[in-house]
Formats: sequence, C-alpha cells, structure tokens
Amino acid sequence: MGGSPSKKLWGSMSLVLALSLAIVGCSNNGNGGGNAANNGAASDPANANANKPANAANDGGAEQTSADLKPVTISAFIGTPNQAPTADNRIYKKIKDELGVTLDMEFLVGDLQQKLGVMIAGGDYPDLITADPKLVSSGAVIPLEDLIEQYAPNLKKNYAAYWNRMKDSSDGHIYWLPNYGAYTGEYHATAYSGPAFWIQKDILKEAGYPTPKTLDDFTKLIRDYAAKHPTIDGQPTIGFTTLAYDWRTFPLLNAPEHLTGHPNDGGVVVDNGVASVFADKDSAKTYYKALNGLYNDGLMDKEAFVQNYDQYLAKISTGRVLGMFDQHWNFQQGEDTLVSQGKIGQTYVGFPLVYDTSIKDYYLDRPVINLNNGFGISKDAKDPVRIIKFLDALMDEKYQKLLSWGEEGVDYMVGTDGKFYRTPEQRKQQEDPTWKLANRAEAFYGAAPKMEGSYSDGNATSAGTQPQEFFDSLKPQDKELLTAYGHKTWTDFFTPAPENPVYYPAWQVDLIDGSDASVANKQMSDASLKFLPKAIMSKTDQFDAVWNDYVNAYKKINVKAYEDRINEQLQWRIQNWAAQ
Amino acid sequence: MRTRTLRLEPVVFHTCNAIAMLALAVITLYPFLNTLAVSFNAGNDTLRGGIYLWPRVWTEQNYRAIFAGGTIFHAFWISVARTVLSTVLSLLLTSMLAYTVSRKEYVFRKPVTIIIVLTMYFNAGLIPYYFLIKDLHLLNHFLVYIVPGLISAFNMIVIRTYMQTLPEGLIESAKVDGAGDFRTYVSIILPLCQPVLATVALFVAVGQWNSWFDTFLFASSKQNLSTLQYELMKLLSSSMNSNSSAAVANGADPGAARNLVTPMSIRASVTIAASLPILVVYPFLQKYFVHGLQLGSVKE
Amino acid sequence: MASIEKAKPPKTAAAATATVPQPSVFKRMRGQKQLMLMSLPILAYVVLFAYYPIWGWTMAFQNYKPARDFAEQEWVGLKQFRFLFSDDAFLLVLRNTIAMSFINMVLGFVTAIVFAILLNEIKNKLYKRTIQTISYLPHFLSWIIVTGIVANSLSVDGGIVNVLLMKLGFINEPIMWLSEPHYFWGIVGASHVWKEVGWNAIIYLAAITSIDPSLYEAAEIDGANRYQKMLYVTLPGIKSIVIILLIMNIGWILEAGFEVQYLLGNGVVVDWSQTIDIFVLKYGLQIGNYSLATAAGIFKTVVSITLIFAANTIAKRFGEDRLL
Repeated sequence: MGGSPSKKLWGSMSLVLALSLAIVGCSNNGNGGGNAANNGAASDPANANANKPANAANDGGAEQTSADLKPVTISAFIGTPNQAPTADNRIYKKIKDELGVTLDMEFLVGDLQQKLGVMIAGGDYPDLITADPKLVSSGAVIPLEDLIEQYAPNLKKNYAAYWNRMKDSSDGHIYWLPNYGAYTGEYHATAYSGPAFWIQKDILKEAGYPTPKTLDDFTKLIRDYAAKHPTIDGQPTIGFTTLAYDWRTFPLLNAPEHLTGHPNDGGVVVDNGVASVFADKDSAKTYYKALNGLYNDGLMDKEAFVQNYDQYLAKISTGRVLGMFDQHWNFQQGEDTLVSQGKIGQTYVGFPLVYDTSIKDYYLDRPVINLNNGFGISKDAKDPVRIIKFLDALMDEKYQKLLSWGEEGVDYMVGTDGKFYRTPEQRKQQEDPTWKLANRAEAFYGAAPKMEGSYSDGNATSAGTQPQEFFDSLKPQDKELLTAYGHKTWTDFFTPAPENPVYYPAWQVDLIDGSDASVANKQMSDASLKFLPKAIMSKTDQFDAVWNDYVNAYKKINVKAYEDRINEQLQWRIQNWAAQ
Repeated sequence: MRTRTLRLEPVVFHTCNAIAMLALAVITLYPFLNTLAVSFNAGNDTLRGGIYLWPRVWTEQNYRAIFAGGTIFHAFWISVARTVLSTVLSLLLTSMLAYTVSRKEYVFRKPVTIIIVLTMYFNAGLIPYYFLIKDLHLLNHFLVYIVPGLISAFNMIVIRTYMQTLPEGLIESAKVDGAGDFRTYVSIILPLCQPVLATVALFVAVGQWNSWFDTFLFASSKQNLSTLQYELMKLLSSSMNSNSSAAVANGADPGAARNLVTPMSIRASVTIAASLPILVVYPFLQKYFVHGLQLGSVKE
Repeated sequence: MASIEKAKPPKTAAAATATVPQPSVFKRMRGQKQLMLMSLPILAYVVLFAYYPIWGWTMAFQNYKPARDFAEQEWVGLKQFRFLFSDDAFLLVLRNTIAMSFINMVLGFVTAIVFAILLNEIKNKLYKRTIQTISYLPHFLSWIIVTGIVANSLSVDGGIVNVLLMKLGFINEPIMWLSEPHYFWGIVGASHVWKEVGWNAIIYLAAITSIDPSLYEAAEIDGANRYQKMLYVTLPGIKSIVIILLIMNIGWILEAGFEVQYLLGNGVVVDWSQTIDIFVLKYGLQIGNYSLATAAGIFKTVVSITLIFAANTIAKRFGEDRLL
C-alpha cells in the first residue's frame, strides 16, 4: 500500500467512485423485490375501449407538425445506462426529418443518486429528465397536467386510466410520464419473467409431469431426483441453491410472502390493507426450516450464501442445479447458456408453490403503472409546449410502431393476415448490439411514454409479446412439456392474476431518503443476510436457537417506522386512487 | 566479486531469486491473461466458467461492441491530451514546489509542507467541490481535466524526499557560482531527479488515464469532451443494464440482445482496451527507475 | 560498517548550516524571493481547490437536502455523529477497518520492499524489466475482476487453492474460505498484495537508483557479503522514503477501502468484513444521507491528522526523516 497514488487529492473521491461501480444497477431495483412482476396476463379492462382507431387523437399531432416544424434540439437525461446511438442512426434520423426534433441525450454512468444529487445541487437541468422523487421536492420539474390537457391528446388517452395515480402524493400535480405499465388493447403474456420456484424440465419428465403445489411436493421431487442422479454431466448434483449477493437478495428473502399466498409486495405482506413485515415471522421460519432440512441432507448448495452473481449463473449454466426460488429475469442468462448448449431438459419451469393447498397462489400479478419513472420536463426547458407536443406526436401508433418494431419491410414483415413478424435474419439482427446502435432507438424508447398491449390493428406492441413470435421460439422439448400439462404458455402454470388491489404494489412506496424508515429497511436486510444463512446452515437441533437470535436482532430495529411509512402511503392510495 | 573464483553461493542465490521472481510473475500475469482470454470468448459461453488462459469459443464481438458507437476514437484523443498535458504540468509544478520545501533554509518550508500534506487527509465532499468547479466556469470545459488536480501532496512528498537525499554540496556550489534558486532547480536538481520524476510521471499519467469520475461529474453532457474511460464505463454499465434490469423485467422485447455479449465479457474487453495504451508507455519510463542514473559521475 | 555510515548522503552539511545563528525571518525572506515565488502561488492554488470547499463540512451538522439553499438547511447539531457512534455495529466496523488497514499496510510494505530489493539483485536487464512489467499488470484490473478470480480460486467447487491443498495432502476436504469469518482479513490482505505489489515496488526501485554505487564498492572492500550489502547499504538507502510513506500510511489507517470487502463479503462473514466505508455507504450515500457521510469523513480526518502528527513526532524523536 506504500505508493498508491490513488490516495492523493483526487483520491478523496475514490469512495463514491468505486461505489458506483459496485452498485451499478441498484437504482433500478432499489426495493430489492425488483419490478419484474409486471407481466400480468389479462388486458386492463379499464382500457378496453381504447382499442378503437386513434385517428381522432391524431388530429392534434398533425396540426402541430404543420404549425411549428422549425428544428429544435431537446436535451434529455436518461437515468439508465445506455450506449449513445450512432450519429446517423436510422430511427432518430427519421424522427428528426419528420418531427424536426434532434435529441441530445445523456445517459447514466455510475450511480443515479449521486448524479441527481450533484445535478440538484448545481441547479442545471436538461429539458427532459428521468424521474426521481428528489427532483419533485427540489422543484426541478414542472407540473404537466395542464400541458397534457391542452396539447397532448394522445398522452392523455394513454394515461387516462391512471390519471389519479400519477398525481404526486405531496401536492397533487403530475410530474412524470410513466414509461411502462399503461396498457392498451389486449395483452398477451406468454413468457414469464417473475418470481417462482423453478425446477428442471428433466425432473418433471422423469416423474411423469406432476404438478408440485406445495413446498413439500417440490422438495420431494428434488430429493428423489438427486438420489437417483448424484452427478449430472460428471459433476455433483446441486439440489437447491439461492443467491444473496449485492442488491440481488430477493432469491433468499422473498419466497415466504409467496408461499403464504401474497403477491410481490417487496418486504411486506398486505392483509386487509395493512402492511406488515414478514421476514422474522413464523410464516418465514417454516420456509427457512425447510431449507435447513435440505442443507442437512446435503441437498442445499454449500456455497449458496458465499457465491457472487457470476458464480450463481455459472452453476445454473452447467445444468446441475435442480431448483431454486428466483425471478426468471435474474437467472435468464444462465438459462440462455443452457439453451445454446442444447441442454433444454436442464432449463426450468416455474411453479407457484404455497405452504398448503388451502392457500391460493398469487405469483402472477397484473401490470402496474410504473410510477415515479419515465420522463418529466424540467424548469429549465425553454419550450415545454413543443416538448410535450413532440412526446405526444410519438404516441401516434405510426411512431410507436417505428420505435418498437422498426420500419416495415426492413425490421419486420407484415403477413397476409396483417400480423407483424420477423424473419430469422431480422430476428438475428435484433440480437446484434452494434447493429442496434445504428438502427434502433432503444435508449430513448425505454424511457419515453409508450403504448403497451396491442395496437388498434391487433398486433402486439412488442415482438416479444406477439404470440406467434413466442411459439416460434419454443423448442420441441418445450412443446412436448407444455402439451403434457395441457398448457399453451408458461404463464398457464399460475393462477390468473386477480384485479390488483388499489394500493398494489407496496414496493413502489418511496421510503424517503435518510428517513427512519429507510434506515430500518437497511438494518432489516442486514440482519436477514447475516442470520438466515447461519440458521439454514445450522445443525437441525440448533436451528431454533439461531432463529431466536434473528428475531431478537429484529426487535432492536425500528421496524415500526418502516411499516408506518408504508401503511401511511397505502392508506393515501386507497383514499386518492379508489376514486377513479 | 567477478574477480573472485566462482563460488556456489552466488549461483544458488541467483537461481533461487530468478525462480522466485518468475513465480511472482506467473501469479501476477495470470489475472491479466485470464481477462484477455475472457475478452475473446463468447459471452454466453464464459458464463459456464472454466475459462483460464485461452478462449474456448473464439469471438471478437466483445471488442466490436467497443468500436460500435464510433465515439471511441475522439474520446481516445481527449484522454491522450488530458494525460499528456496534466502529466507535464503536474510534474513541473509539483517538483518546483517540492524543491522549495526541500530547502532547509526556506522560512515557509514547514507551513507550506503542513498545508499541502493535510490535503491528503480530508475530503470536503462532492457538493461544495462541484460548486467550486461551477463558480470557476470549468463545467463542461476541457480544463476541468487539467486544472483541479495538478498538485498531489503524495507526489510532492515523494519528490521532496528524493531531493533531500541528493548531495547538499551540489546546491551549495551552484549558489557559490551565483545561481538563484530557480536556476538551481532547473539546471541542477531536475536532471538529477529523473528516476523519481519518471515514477511520479507514471503515477500522474496512470491516474489521469484511468479517471472517469470527473467526466461523469463535470463534463458528461458534452460528448466531444468524453474520455476513453468514460466511454468504456458507459458501455460497461449499459451492458449490465440490458442484461439485468427492468428493461427485460417489464416485458420489453425479452428476446433481444441478451447472450451475445454479457457484462462479464464486456468488462474483460473494456479492461484490456483501457489499459493497453497506458501499458505501452511503461517501458519508456521504466528505464529511468530500473537502471537509474550513474550518480557517481556528477558527484562533487 | 563504519565506512558505510560515513559514506551516507552527506546530511551533515545541512545540519551544519542549521546550527549557524539565524538572521531574522524578514531578512531571510528577502533572500528567498525566488523560493517564495516558486511556492506561494501554488500554495494559493491548493488552498482554493482543497481548503475552500471545506465549508461543506457544515453538512455534518445539518440534515442536508441538496435542493435547499444554505440558509434553509435544517441544523441538527451532533445528531449524525450520535447516530454513528451509538450504533452497536460501528465499533465492529471500526475494529475491522483498523485491522484490515493494518494488515494491508504491513503486508504491502514488506512485500513491496522485499520485491524491490530482490528484483534489484537480478543482473539480466531484460529479465528484470520483464518481471517488473508483469508484476504491475494487476494494478490495472478493477477490483471486480480481481475479486472474481479470487472467489473462483477459493471455491469449494473445484477452486485451484482447494484442489492444490488437497493434492498436496494438507487437507482432506475443501475449505469454505469465504464463509469462514477468521480468514476474511487475511484473504483481503493477500488480494491486496497480489494486485498491488508490483505497483507499490516502483517507488522503492526509483529510490534504490539514487544510492551511490561507491557505497557498494566501499562495503565490498569492508568484506560485506550480499546480504550484508542489502541490509546495510540498500535498505538504509531507501530508509527515508520508507519512513515517509509509513507515516503517511499511518494517517490512512481508517481507509481500508470498501470495494474489495463489498465484493468478497457476504452475510456469513459480515461481522468481520464490514468497514467504515461500507457502513457509510449503506446508511449514508445509498439512502441520500450526505450528512452522515460528511460526519464520518470528519471523524476520519480528525483521527488521521492526530495520527500523522503523533507519528511525525515519534520519527523526530528517533532522529529519522520526517513527513512534516
């Protein structure tokens, strides 16, 4: 350590510097639970009549394009890391030619909170800015409701069903245009990327395609299979693994809420409109006791609590992990590697397990509007009207298709039945990041308001949700398995999602920076990450003692501050959102 | 020693020493070779683990991703410019300051030393620092890479310590010849300080080359001021983003853009691309501090 | 031995001038115009960039919110400090920080110095330069890459360390290195050495070049063998830089970093792996509490400055080179 020159004047910043490296990605998933559960099954009935052609709304857009097409540059800060598009990007060029708008985008590098903190302190903002509660409390963004009412019929229509929810809980203004979760028309859920207990397809096949309903059913399948197959592809079989690395702690922490029949509310379960922490309750103990059983039988991965994310994925991609609890998107890369090795039987099917059959599973939920996300317009914007008109023009189906599917004949084809599809070459192109920088406008589209569900012509708003595209991607083994269960898609394994409670989901509640609630939240997750591995890895007769230590550690934390903040917000939502 | 007859001891010593050094080289070379191998291996295959010294599924995709945006070349030259300018200026100013505090007779020697040294031990915090940069109109200006970091207390102390080991008589005789302090510094001291100056130049250059945080804070909205490291950081964070986060979770094109390049493989290619240019500089500086000067020739 | 002492860089000359009765300060200043011109403008620059922003320390006594003006901030007195010191975890993270920092410092110094001296003994120039170039390569790898390799090497699942130890018969079954709290400090220390030994040695190699070759000749005439020369010529030749660096590093005893601990640590070893910086990260920066981070910074500064002045005084008493 003698001569490390990093410790000089500039080195004072090294803490934040490397910190941002270490926690890149956190900002998107601040609540641990992640927002992966948004792929609901059903269409939003509130939007049923939005299916008719959007011509009426387009008039406003047409007017605007003729009125002021004078070229303008709109600066935007996008709060997710992205690569800048190439200078001659085809889609941005089209937007520029047709709408007269050049986008000057800056993308996040490093830590979002850091960046916003400095931006707020300095007081200089770009025209369009990524959403964060901080920006509202510091007066960085302007209210949008009047602008939308006056100039943006397409946006108004897109958000009509969510209008009340979009109002800020502190002053009733609308500051943000949510980038996901506003559904139009029919929504086809095919793939499932949310939480579930996952089990290898080979196990199901060998056992004659049973449907595990409870945790016991599931562990029995794993026990039996592991006993028969002590090694897989020459390496020792791992019965069950989990992950608790960095911010990816939900594989370890979130299972109990689902086992008791609750949806993904993050760190709490909500009964009768009242949220309570479950991590130290008996309902959680049952689950970890079961893991303790697996551990002592040698079926639980010894390294589960030590491994980093790369090691977790590596293990999954060797095909010798029989099962785990996780959200699908979190281990998808590992599964993709299995597919590329042709090991389809070692990829996974998700089941919505519960403690006992009297409990109805609630894993699958309906899409929720992605509040406190998307764009707002800053107080420094010179011409907010032009900006809102621009965003409104992009809501036209013509531009929505351009942004999501691309250009007809180039990026997708239209079948004789009017359905969009991609040729294998076009699909391959979409996987090439280099090509995309020049031919797609993903970075902007990700943060902008958008239509989801389906267009007025019945096509899905993204290739991934177009049913035919999904069926084409299934492997023969997948088709065999789905047929055996009498299912069409992976979501059919789950109970269809009921109507979301008005306050759902609790994980969207902003805990407020630096408050007692956010401190308690940190302390709780620290305690869980410290004691749960100890409990799971303890001898069977010592489990209860460790569990008691854990419960006592929780008693020292101001859990109430955390629960109170969430309940206060849930009540506020019940009062203000139910009205619609 | 050469004049004596060959004894066993030197042979044993040199053999052992050479082997020990070789062993050290092997274990320190490994992580770099491993990174190199990963950078040329297909991303989804790397996930399986087991890549050591050679790629299993060869690809240049991870490097193509770096050059895809086309912004990297301009950023490279900005990095070169800031590194060269900062290194030269910093070396001049730091060594000049070091010279003054190496002079025992200098009245302000102690206060100046203390004021400079203490800067190593506190950190005013990001926000007041940001205000300062803003008030000086350095935001989004090339000079923000150069101006704030010219003097490093650490480097100054290293140079001063070296200067203090130089024979005092040299300076005395220069003074007798009527040379002022500035001339003594330029024509007597600097040439003698080559080894330590080369060392400090390396420290400054590597620090400048590797830094991206100042771009992040002070120049991020100006693409033409972007540095190589910042562009690479962008690439790395965007690869992590597209693989893990809400984009996939929210059902936006689940089929797109996974797989081919993964954060792990991009991290490897980025690391190689970022460090190769600065590694090339090393051998040029190295001769100054591995072999050093023949001080004997300038001795009084 | 005696001749070596005499041949040391002649400090005696400086010492002699120092004992001559000094003229008044103002008189001396007049003769030092050039020295002042060469240093005071630079000093002003440092004061501007390093000292002026210290007004930001007021944040530690506020409940700082970025959007508000200074006048609108809420003043909370010592609340942030109380949160820091009243938390049970703080003593623990303080212990871990000091322990890891100390281990890193000792290991870092010893390995870099030994490496520099041994490398200096290599006669073949090409070999010497190659070894040195290779040894500093890991410095350019980020911690996330290095810890990834460390974690894989220590895995019970075919990690090279366990495989080797088992092949050599030292252990019968793989050791779970990273889930054993007592190994954590050592693993962090070893990782640091691995990554930085070559880089840290550079400064000593530069210092070795300044040693007057005639000292080795004199030692040889006195009949010193190789090891005696290392011990009585090379080592004293780099002593001043070693001591200066040591004093500087003592000031950084609370800077054990956080990246490596964050990346290698896990819930099982958390009582041994968390450092002050991780604590501040979790309860300060990650939840937007800049005030807590500032308070921790002030605490560290107070400790640092106390320590370097103490170390400097001790060095002075032993007649060694001083930092200040």
